[in-house]
Amino acid sequence: MSNILALAQKELRAYFVSPMAYALFGFFALLFGWFFVASMNVMLQFSMGQFGQGGPQVVNINEFMIRPLFGNTAVILLMMLPFLTARAYAEEKRSGTIELLLTSPLSDFQIIMGKFLGAMTLYGIMLAITLIHIGILFWYGDPEWGPIVSGYLGLLLMGSSFISVGLAISSMTKNQMVAGLSTFAVLLLFWIINWVGDASGSTTQTVLSYLSILEHFDDFSKGVIDTTHVTYYVSFIAFGLFLTAKSLDTARWNG
Amino acid sequence: MVEVQHVTKRYGSLTAVDDISFRVERGEILGFLGPNGAGKTTTMRILTGFLPATEGQARIAGFDVFEQPMEAKRRTGYLPETPPLYPEMTVAEYLRFVARINGMPPGDRRTQVGVAMERTKISDMADRYCGKLSKGYRQRVGLAQAILHNPDVLILDEPTAGLDPRQIIETRRLIAELAGDHTVILSTHILPEVSQTCQRVVIINRGRVVAIDTPDNLTARLQGSQTLYLQIDAQGAEALATLEGVDGVASVTCVDEHDGIGGYEIESRQGDDVRRELSRTVVTSGWGLLELRPRQMSLEDIFLQLTTEEAPTEAVHPGMVTPGDEADVTVEDRVDE
Ligand SMILES: Nc1ncnc2c1ncn2[C@@H]1O[C@H](COP(=O)(O)OP(=O)(O)OP(=O)(O)O)[C@@H](O)[C@H]1O
Ligand SMILES: [Mg+2]
Repeated sequence: MSNILALAQKELRAYFVSPMAYALFGFFALLFGWFFVASMNVMLQFSMGQFGQGGPQVVNINEFMIRPLFGNTAVILLMMLPFLTARAYAEEKRSGTIELLLTSPLSDFQIIMGKFLGAMTLYGIMLAITLIHIGILFWYGDPEWGPIVSGYLGLLLMGSSFISVGLAISSMTKNQMVAGLSTFAVLLLFWIINWVGDASGSTTQTVLSYLSILEHFDDFSKGVIDTTHVTYYVSFIAFGLFLTAKSLDTARWNG
Repeated sequence: MVEVQHVTKRYGSLTAVDDISFRVERGEILGFLGPNGAGKTTTMRILTGFLPATEGQARIAGFDVFEQPMEAKRRTGYLPETPPLYPEMTVAEYLRFVARINGMPPGDRRTQVGVAMERTKISDMADRYCGKLSKGYRQRVGLAQAILHNPDVLILDEPTAGLDPRQIIETRRLIAELAGDHTVILSTHILPEVSQTCQRVVIINRGRVVAIDTPDNLTARLQGSQTLYLQIDAQGAEALATLEGVDGVASVTCVDEHDGIGGYEIESRQGDDVRRELSRTVVTSGWGLLELRPRQMSLEDIFLQLTTEEAPTEAVHPGMVTPGDEADVTVEDRVDE
């Protein structure tokens, strides 16, 4: 455990020493803020419209604002997290520091968990920043907190899946750029996989829908925590970590 | 302490290390010598558990590096070819990190880091970022990292590469010092390094062991024919021809010619001592005899002899070819001594 923590700390240090962490935080806060304001405007217009039609209406903040906001956040994460994980292994392989890790008395499991924990911590901080915006909602409005909690749980699970795939891909190359772009491409594929229309037959459609990584998020943002979705994300994470383990092992055999 | 048995490593169809076996006893310094691409780094990576061997076994302090990697790794300090530093850490932070992942208890870390920095003379660099260090200092931090946890076995891949001459001397002294309670395997292309620091030398070429012996024995064993160095105040074809005509002389090479003075390397036939005959010839020819001495065969010569099919006595003059400069040398299969 101490080894895992040591590695996770090392990872975090690397993120915070480079402009990477700050760029990610800044960009994420900016985009999240943008969507926050945009969805607030939509909601306000909507409530005005209703106001015009008749008596004052209480608009459901959860339905009209928080749900679209979570949906948009999922897409931002899909685009940004690949760049958070790209360097994790690729840089160690490029600079040769992987030789230190693999010849120290560390197990592959410790290395993999250390890196995962490091990236997850950074992601956690990213999500924590957005709590400020949500705080504003609670200050001025009266949203239900249930869907917000489940939405954050969903974001956490989905982001972890992105991270676990990103780490696996990073462990397959020496080039950060390649790692980042490939991760993005893979995640994109998992997003749009169910867009192939109904013509392909309903069974295929069901399978593709099941695979689609954003599809599983929707229920979370509605306030529903369904074990199917949780299982999906947890399997996704486990698969990514397993792939990383395989890739480290293969790299070892092939030099 | 270290046992390597029939280790072979293949990368696809390329055999980087081919059936290597050797042993290193406790406290010994073993030099690993070979030209570029000989398989030194590959062998060291197998010993440190970074790469698995395709065939064969390696043991560190009795622990198989493949079967019991943790036990073996705990007892090994490794300086890879490129020092594995994290640019975003300061030297002290980096060493503390290495101490931690080597399972050193928190209380010991600070003191051990201090000791290692002291020994490698990097204490004044403690707060520098690793990414901002010069090549020589990177090398030293790499060395500090290797000796940090007081391992039984030290594996150093070209520990003096990139150091300035004074540092090279200090590093060699440090290695000699460490050898007391550590076992050291180091690789190098630099021949004087092995004769100065190592008790035994493994010469490898194209993945195969060509010779294992002490530097002295290697030198002695290969002096089948004796080489003399002769300096006279004559030069040119005539002098050369006269010298070649001396009884018992196998070949004469002019190695130096300036201001009317000629320096020659004379190889005698096996068993013949041609010194008397040579000096007599020089005197009767009316030349001045300035110098006549047996030329010690350096490790470089041995190296060339072992790694080339035929010792090219004329074409390649040792000293003109640096070892490892394999382009100039026709590296051929092993020559059995
Ligand atoms: N990862 C790899 N994949 C394929 N071939 C490799 C790999 N690593 C090394 N080789 C090959 O194995 C052989 C031995 O390489 P190695 O690095 O062990 O040599 P070396 O003795 O350390 O050389 P140098 O003096 O240049 O450091 C070389 O022919 C090299 O090209
Ligand atoms: Mg090498």
